[in-house]
Amino acid sequence: MVHRSVGGIAAVLLLLASCGETTPPLSGGAQPSVSASFPVTIDGVTIPGRPERIVSLSPTATEMLFAIGAGDQVEAVDDQSNYPADAPRTDLSGFEPNVEAIASYEPDLVVYSTEPGDLGAALAGLGIPALVQPAATTLDDVYEQIDQLGVATGDASQAKDLAERMRAEIDSITGSIQPPSEPVTYYHELDDTYYSVTSSTFIGQLYSLVGLRNIADEAKGAGGGYPQLSAEYIVEANPDLIFLADTKCCGQSRQTVAKRPGWDRIAAVENGGVIPLDDDVASRWGPRIVEYLRQIAEAVADVLEAQAA
Amino acid sequence: MSRLILRALTVALDGREVVHGVSAEVSSGEWLAVIGPNGAGKSTMLRAAAGLLRHGGTVEIDGVPVSGLSPRARARRVAYAPQVPAMPPGMTVVDYVLLGRTPYLGYLAREGRRDREVAASVLDRLDLGAVTGRQLGALSGGEQQRVVLARALAQQADVLLLDEPTTALDIGHQQQVLELLDRLRLDDGLTVISSLHDLTVAGQYADALLLLVDGRAVATGRPTDVLTEATVSTHYGAAVQVSTGEDGRPLVHLVRRS
Amino acid sequence: MTRRARAISLGVAVLIVSVIAGLLVGPVHIAPGAALRWLVSLGHPPAGMSEQQAAILGNLRLPRVIVAALVGASLSASGAAYQAVFRNPLADPYLLGAAAGAGLGATIAVAFGPSDAFAVTVPVAAFIGAIAGVGLAYGLGRSSPGGRSATSLILGGIAVASFLTAVQTFVLQSRTEALQRVYSWILGQLGAASWSDLGLVLPYVLISTGTLLLHGRLLDVLAVGDDEAASLGIRAQRVRLTVLVAASLATASAVAVSGLIGFVGIVVPHIVRRLTAGSYRVVLPLSLLGGAAFLVLADVVARTAIAPAELPIGVVTAFVGAPFFAALLWISRRAIA
Repeated sequence: MVHRSVGGIAAVLLLLASCGETTPPLSGGAQPSVSASFPVTIDGVTIPGRPERIVSLSPTATEMLFAIGAGDQVEAVDDQSNYPADAPRTDLSGFEPNVEAIASYEPDLVVYSTEPGDLGAALAGLGIPALVQPAATTLDDVYEQIDQLGVATGDASQAKDLAERMRAEIDSITGSIQPPSEPVTYYHELDDTYYSVTSSTFIGQLYSLVGLRNIADEAKGAGGGYPQLSAEYIVEANPDLIFLADTKCCGQSRQTVAKRPGWDRIAAVENGGVIPLDDDVASRWGPRIVEYLRQIAEAVADVLEAQAA
Repeated sequence: MSRLILRALTVALDGREVVHGVSAEVSSGEWLAVIGPNGAGKSTMLRAAAGLLRHGGTVEIDGVPVSGLSPRARARRVAYAPQVPAMPPGMTVVDYVLLGRTPYLGYLAREGRRDREVAASVLDRLDLGAVTGRQLGALSGGEQQRVVLARALAQQADVLLLDEPTTALDIGHQQQVLELLDRLRLDDGLTVISSLHDLTVAGQYADALLLLVDGRAVATGRPTDVLTEATVSTHYGAAVQVSTGEDGRPLVHLVRRS
Repeated sequence: MTRRARAISLGVAVLIVSVIAGLLVGPVHIAPGAALRWLVSLGHPPAGMSEQQAAILGNLRLPRVIVAALVGASLSASGAAYQAVFRNPLADPYLLGAAAGAGLGATIAVAFGPSDAFAVTVPVAAFIGAIAGVGLAYGLGRSSPGGRSATSLILGGIAVASFLTAVQTFVLQSRTEALQRVYSWILGQLGAASWSDLGLVLPYVLISTGTLLLHGRLLDVLAVGDDEAASLGIRAQRVRLTVLVAASLATASAVAVSGLIGFVGIVVPHIVRRLTAGSYRVVLPLSLLGGAAFLVLADVVARTAIAPAELPIGVVTAFVGAPFFAALLWISRRAIA
């Protein structure tokens, strides 16, 4: 009797003692969770306790937060955060943030990707911890940001799991491609005035992972990685694949591309190699890059198959 | 040959009356000089007579009210040259004079042979044959003034309204232009109204003078009648002496006060 | 041959040379001899030219060169006309709110219109916007006590342009996803020019530039001022209105197809005026021809300078225009000193 009550009291005491810390719920695995200790300091920003009212002004950060299981800690997301569908979307703007509007949600953590001026300073002035997670330039940036969010939200182990899973899947995707003797060429279209990306950009690197060669690379250095190509060059370069990242913004599709004067002779157009993408997936650097990579790899596989036939 | 009659000409600018009920009659071939102190309204009066300003009273040419004419018909009867004519510096003399033929051309028409002949003859009469191809910006003051006159003559109008046709000309060029004007109006029977600030010059060349003070015609008549010491000193506030020249015309001299 | 005929023949020759250069030079190398033979044989690919190259020439380069020539001609003739009407060598075709109106039209089309119809909605909206902008400026200037004088028109234009630009900024900041697309339109682009664009715009260009050319003599008369023009029998306000309408139509057509390309409307008429006598009967046709040649050549630079990437054409014209004004300043300083 006494033993049990001592155990009970001890349990209560332990519980009380651990009120200052947070223990992440054990996921359906056996591994003991890495208990995140608060307060935690990331990049000079101190987060005193487990955030329960997170405001995200970055659609990518929103996707990451929900993917690491921190979705129920999110109070509000910006107007462009459309994935996942049940994220609490508001009118907050990530481009022109209104500090008062943000503060009205009483956030205990704000995550954003573009620093439009002095948002960080303004939030610091109000005592609100803020994390800046700018657009990733490499895959490692992506994993780093996921880990960072894990630590910041007290879901570090889930973040770690997510990163591991993504790594593994990406490896398996890239491993499944047999690099051909003649690399498959592609053109990635950002809008209907032929803005493209070079392989030095984040998106470009993803394509390189599956061994694709970018026709815009001749224009390295122009446009800071986002050159505007001339139509006749694209026609002459005759890419095997055309990826349309402007299906939502500019209404482009297989049909509209085939109708462009002179484009009907391009290999990609003739062989069904025009791949419409979701604009959002192609412009974010969150967990969905895995799906994106899978889509690209399938397209490459189709081309290689057709070539072999 | 045209007789110009101004009846009770009244002009208001910016709500303020600048010319009050001026009347005058200029017979065909006559030269009326409008004189008066600065700000008397001489330019305004001429612009109104040319049909460029809204005015009360009437302006008639041979009994026809000018206001009833279309701009083109009016331009064929009345030629006007402002005090400071716009001289587009890049325009050639010939093109500038050809502008005077505008009233005879349809909206989108171009000049024909007749128009060029008129322009050529006018340039000839004004002794501008040597500079026909030159740009306006490259002309001397005297040449420019003559070119303006040439354009007015190219309009082949019977009535000439000239605002200070000899401003900024030296005495030699002044005389040149005035003599020319005199000869032309006698040869062609033109009716000329010009404002002149130099009283002696006005007295020398005009057939009749109209003294405009504060928008009112305070004296009209022959030069000897209008240019008296009393009249001039009262209205100009200047100390003058008026003598008579050989031809009976008055000569007005400034007398130094001190 | 009169001086005028000689000058115009020279202009035509310059234009022809530019057009040929525009056809021969591009990011894709096509042997000049083959290209010329292609042109002469009216589109049949000669031996040694691939189908692809012929497609590039016929479907991409040729329409692009022609559109560039038409746009350059429209902007330049319009600029010369505006300079005549306002008697100001710094007037440009965007003076009376045409640019701001077109910009707002394009922004509204991109931000609120169906994204799969941009190829149609943007040019139409830009065209309507340009005309509306000029109309507003004219109405505003006219209703002022200054009446239809040149100054009140210019002030009206400034007021309208500022207001419309503010509205455009407001729309853009509330629809930030439209930013990229609108920005690239504003920089000006001939890259998407096609035969259908040409057909869309050709009638307006022909009517408006034709009207302007016919008004050469009347613009000369306007050069001596409203009063003197009236004394010569011309209703200055009526002529001004007609010329402004034609010039604005030309500007709107150009802008609808190619976005806001600057400097062509100021630089070319200016140069033409310096090189020739002042009569608009020479300045207008030469500005038209010179503007066409200028933009065709500028487009060649835009296509080849950083090939295979493209420079926005507005950047190329600015690179010419800015030093031009600096040179002008330097020259006029010397004249004063």
